Formats: sequence, C-alpha cells, structure tokens
Amino acid sequence: MSYETSDFRNGLKIELDGDPYTIVYFQFVKPGKGTAFTRTKLKSILSGSVIERTFRSGETVGEADVEEQPMQFLYANGDVYTFMNTETFDQVELQAKLLGDDAKFLMENLDVSVLFYKGRAVNMTLPNFIETKVTWTEPAVKGNTSQGVLKMAKLECGAEIHVPIFVSEGELLKVDTRDGGSYVSRLNTK
Amino acid sequence: MFPEAPIDAHRLRQRAAIVHAVRDALHADGFLEVHPPIVVDGPALEETLEPVRADGRFLHTSPEFALKRVLAAGLPRIYSIVPCFRDEEHGRHHAREFTLLELYFSNAGYLDLLPVVEGLVAAAARAVHAPVPTFSRRTVAELFGGAVPEDDETFFFRWVDSIEPTLTEPTFVLDYPARHAALAEVRGDISERLEVYLGGLELGNGFSELRDPAELRARFLRSAAHRTALGRAPHPVDEGVIDASGRMPRATGIAIGVDRLVMALTGETDIARVQIPR
Repeated sequence: MSYETSDFRNGLKIELDGDPYTIVYFQFVKPGKGTAFTRTKLKSILSGSVIERTFRSGETVGEADVEEQPMQFLYANGDVYTFMNTETFDQVELQAKLLGDDAKFLMENLDVSVLFYKGRAVNMTLPNFIETKVTWTEPAVKGNTSQGVLKMAKLECGAEIHVPIFVSEGELLKVDTRDGGSYVSRLNTK
Repeated sequence: MFPEAPIDAHRLRQRAAIVHAVRDALHADGFLEVHPPIVVDGPALEETLEPVRADGRFLHTSPEFALKRVLAAGLPRIYSIVPCFRDEEHGRHHAREFTLLELYFSNAGYLDLLPVVEGLVAAAARAVHAPVPTFSRRTVAELFGGAVPEDDETFFFRWVDSIEPTLTEPTFVLDYPARHAALAEVRGDISERLEVYLGGLELGNGFSELRDPAELRARFLRSAAHRTALGRAPHPVDEGVIDASGRMPRATGIAIGVDRLVMALTGETDIARVQIPR
C-alpha cells in the first residue's frame, strides 16, 4: 500500500527512509510558472521529533506498518510504563522518554491508544480529555467566577495546570490533555 | 451534493471593502474596466496550467489573452476583476475557482508595475485598517545566492523547499530565468518578469509584455511539445493573442490573486474562508 501526495491528510502514517512518521501539516504549493509540490511537517513516531519535507506532486510514499490498539495504563516502575489490552490481557511496556510530557496525565486504568510499529509498541496517544481530582491548590476565592484569573493546581494524575481561582482542593476537573494540559470545567461530583 | 460549509461574513465584508478600494484606486489612476469572455478556445500558454473544460472549449485560466487583444485595439490602461479557473489546484492557498485582478498599461516595462502595485495594496490595506506594507526587492539570482539551478526540477524544488518559506516580508521578486519567461520579454538570460509576495503568499505575477509574434508562436509550440511529452493535451495555439502581440504598444501587466490579497491583509490562512463555499 502506498500513498500519493493527493492522499495526504493530517494524521496519515507514512514510511519514509525506513522510519514511520505521522503527517501533522501539509500544504499544496505551486510556484508561479512551476510544477506542483506538497510541503509537509512530519512527526517521527519513534522519536517524536518533527521534520519538514517537500514532495513533488504525484510522488508516492509507503504506508507505515502501524496499528493502534485501545489499552489501559496499569502502572509505572521507574522509567517503564506498563499498559494492558483489557480483552487479551496482553501487556506492553513503553519507556518514559517515548511518552515525554504525556506521562504526567497517566492514571491507573486510564484508557489510551497504544501504537505498534512492525508489531512493537512504540508510542501512546492520550484521550483528548481526562477527568482528574485536584490534590492541591491555594484556597478558593468564593464568589469569584472569573475565568480570567488563574492559579496553579496539582492534579491526582501528577500534572500541574493553571485553574480559575474558584477551584478548590478535592474537586473533580475535566482537563484537555493537548498542548500540555488546560482546564476545561469542574465536574459536579454530588 | 450540497455541503453546509459555513460562510464567514466578516471576511466577506473585508473582501468587499478591498475590492471596492482597489477599483476606486484603479479608476482614479485612469484604468478602464473591461469584461473578458470566460469561455475561450485558448486557455493558456504555460505548460503547468490545467484548464477546466467547458463543452469542447475551456474556462479561461486568466483574462490575459483577451486583455492583450484590447490593448492592441488601442485602449492603453485596462483591468479586469474576474473569476478564473485552474484544474488540479486545491489547498489552503489554492482554489479551482478564484478571482484575478489583471491590469495592463502601455509605454511601460515591468519595473513600472512596482509603484502601481504598491499603491493598490496600500489602498486595499487601508480599506481593512491593516498596516500599509513596505516592499523590498530581490532578484531570483540573489535569492539563490548567485547560483540559479539550470534545470527546472532543481529550481522549483529548491524554490518551494527553502527559498519561498523565507519570503515572509512584503517582497518583489525580479528577473526570473529566461526559460521561465511565459509571456514576458527576455533580456539576455533573464526574463523581465516579477512576482509579488505579501504575508508569505505569492500574490501575483507581472511581465514586460512580449511583442514578438514569431517568438510567442515558438513558445506556444515549445509548451505544447512539453505537454505532449508528459501525456497531457497540448494547449491550442491562440492565434488571437499572437496577432495582438505584434500590434500591442510597449506595455506591462500583472495578475494579482484577489483571494490571496484578502488573505494576506486580513491574516486569513485558508482561501475557503475568503470565498463563498460551493
């Protein structure tokens, strides 16, 4: 299976120079009086680094031999994070350096998507939103419902994010895990 | 299929203000608006342009040939703002159907376009309260560090891969290789051709207009041969524009993408949001 530049879309996983990449940006370009190209930004599935690459229109690239499996996070032991397929009970391990910043959102039993390249677990994708408790923050300012004024909060999952000043310790929050983590809303726990 | 694509009312208002301001500036400068035919027998000269077919003819890829016939007929300062069609071009900076502002004026060469384009862009910028851009000038040779690639493949790849991304400031790019002249006058090994960049977008392409019918016919035939070699239908040789080229006064002209002008002045990154979605 191979893709032409006209098949490119964000999220497409391609094989380039023997390594798997995810297309994170693509742009059709046709210079004046010239032929067409597609400019791309590609994120390495193995290292997470982003490279820029220009393709000639009609050039083909291979499909990356990758597969995603829904799994649950079990536990971390030092730099090794263990995940389990809840149907087959298969377990896989990922190194902290592959997870990068995403590790701070991992909580026991969190449903994630684990990416396999040529049968080997190589990466993981968090759900866009998680629910997690506030374990520490400055006392709430009652009655101030302004979302513009922020303070730090430590979350049960281990992340620290900015929250509005009306948030109290022990409250359950909805948090967006993209872009490093941001407050979405309080969840009514009563 | 009738997709419910959203219409961006704010962008459409900005677009209207820009087009209005450009027309006012052109009329104040003595330009006459002319209305070219959209369905044509000769869609283009350039081998890289794919026309949209229309019942055995073509939708024009620009009003260039028609406007040159008008120029040859004796109207010295003319312009059109019209929809144009280029097949196989789609992306955030390309739409199959888009709007070109094309203008010509006589007794002038391509460098005379610079103040005219600056004036039009300034008027358009003021219409949407955008800062008036100040353009710098760079030659193609300068941008390639003195070593312009000899073959087209390398030229365009390096242009797209490493040169164009550096053109983030308002810039006139001048003096393309002679083999990329299209319908421009050639001087030595360069063509008297320019492109204007604004907001990182290629906004338009201008020439000192070629006035040599034999040379123009030779370029049509060369383009046709290249297209045939690529397995593409050759563009018909447009006898009307060949004839007009011999009767035209010395003139210069430029085509500016109106959609991209709106994008560059409003910070819009997707051409679809400055158009009415189909």
